[in-house]
Amino acid sequence: MSKEVVISGMGLISSLGLSLEENWKNIVAGKSGTKNITLFDASSCATRVAAEVPPEFEELSRNYIKKRAASQMTRVTRMCVAAAKIAVADSGIDFNQLDRTRCSVIMGVVNTGNSSAEKDTTLQNTVFKTMTNSMPAWISLEYRLMGPNFAVNTACASSAYAIAFGYEMIKNGQADVVIVGGADSIINAEEIKGFNALFALSVANDPPAEASKPFSKNRDGFVIGEGAGVLLLESKEHALARNGQIHATIAGYALTSEGYNIMAPMKDGEGMAQTMELALKNADIQKSDVGYINAHGTSTELNDRYETMAIKQVFGDLAYHIPVSSSKSMLGHTIGAAGAIEAIITAMSLRHGILPPTINYHEPDPDLDLDYIPNTSRSKDIRVALSNSFGFGGHNACLVLKKYQE
Amino acid sequence: MATITERTKSEVKEIVYSFFAEECEADIEQINDNTSIINDLDGDSLMFLELIEIFKKKYNLDIELKVIGKYAVKHPVATIGQLIEMQLLIIEHENRLMELDK
Repeated sequence: MSKEVVISGMGLISSLGLSLEENWKNIVAGKSGTKNITLFDASSCATRVAAEVPPEFEELSRNYIKKRAASQMTRVTRMCVAAAKIAVADSGIDFNQLDRTRCSVIMGVVNTGNSSAEKDTTLQNTVFKTMTNSMPAWISLEYRLMGPNFAVNTACASSAYAIAFGYEMIKNGQADVVIVGGADSIINAEEIKGFNALFALSVANDPPAEASKPFSKNRDGFVIGEGAGVLLLESKEHALARNGQIHATIAGYALTSEGYNIMAPMKDGEGMAQTMELALKNADIQKSDVGYINAHGTSTELNDRYETMAIKQVFGDLAYHIPVSSSKSMLGHTIGAAGAIEAIITAMSLRHGILPPTINYHEPDPDLDLDYIPNTSRSKDIRVALSNSFGFGGHNACLVLKKYQE
Repeated sequence: MATITERTKSEVKEIVYSFFAEECEADIEQINDNTSIINDLDGDSLMFLELIEIFKKKYNLDIELKVIGKYAVKHPVATIGQLIEMQLLIIEHENRLMELDK
């Protein structure tokens, strides 16, 4: 018998904060985490802004990760492990009370950030710092978890995929607890120059906070963000049996591949639409029940146009009544971590009845005519929300989250 | 082939104790020769290699890692005391370490 899957713990580290509460407060306030790049000398890059995790992270990292282990992790891996520990603490779970062979870790990892911007890499730690399974491995080591632990890479949809696989394990009774999520940072010269060569990044460097402007007429590309988002999934019965809190329910998801282009989405958002349609069907949700869409919303010309077209294709006239917003307007695009970070924001929206805004929305694009929750968050009690993630290579994911009701 | 003096033994012991205290954030007073590297200090196998590098430099040793690897497979190290003994054998015998098993 399939089980109801709930989110019972969440940890979030981003440019807008080092805790779930701080992040949520800043997101609701519509703040931007984008600033001038400080992690390396970006003066030779066309893009010189990014949404960096604040330097106070180093102190947080020292509190959560022992020196010895930390020396074998990149800064990004440390973000992932710290966010996992925050999520586990948030859940109140005690692994000593559980069968550890039934506890798993699945992380969305595009790379570990062992780039030219990483410090203290030596010959002896370079393998551990680089291997893409290091994030789930360190988390499983921390708690001595012995269920399957692995990484999944589907570019910008990676951590949404991780959530989907974790959902399946709980739903089908293959695990009691699955820690899912992801972390990423591509704030380094080689990747910024590489994305600049693809004309994918915003070059609106001044003022930094206004560079990411999804769905706006003057959008000119995405802003790179960094951070980690980790969620603890378990069945509703399992969470209730240990008196755990429940942030939200995962009702279903869809994963699709476009088989079309290594970079561009399918014309007119056809693949995006198919993904949302399938996710609703899998979750057995009526379109009229959807109260909010946390869009992929990258601030690129094609994504925002096609995602808008896809939403209209799926929802028809209803699309004009469903608020849509892009967390990337505030946090930048956190690549492998985006799916998890945005699922967390979606869960918080359901729990608190507040929809986060799309900031920097000052010049509407006449072709993009949905309700993008411009600039200011909105109070609205919703029952169902979608979280979209679409990655280079045609990897699509749509998660369907529901408000938890006792 | 180096001669192991009491001074060498003392130096090696001090370096090993300090290394583990620093890397594992442990109180050096709590470390003794029976301390388990994995269970008591939460250490790892990489630390063994890092110590070898330290001793290679300090004593200008002619030793290949593969020789140490082969020897370690036959003589696993679990405690601080065992690790010190092995480091002393490495310093003393360098690349002829495997000859000890003949």
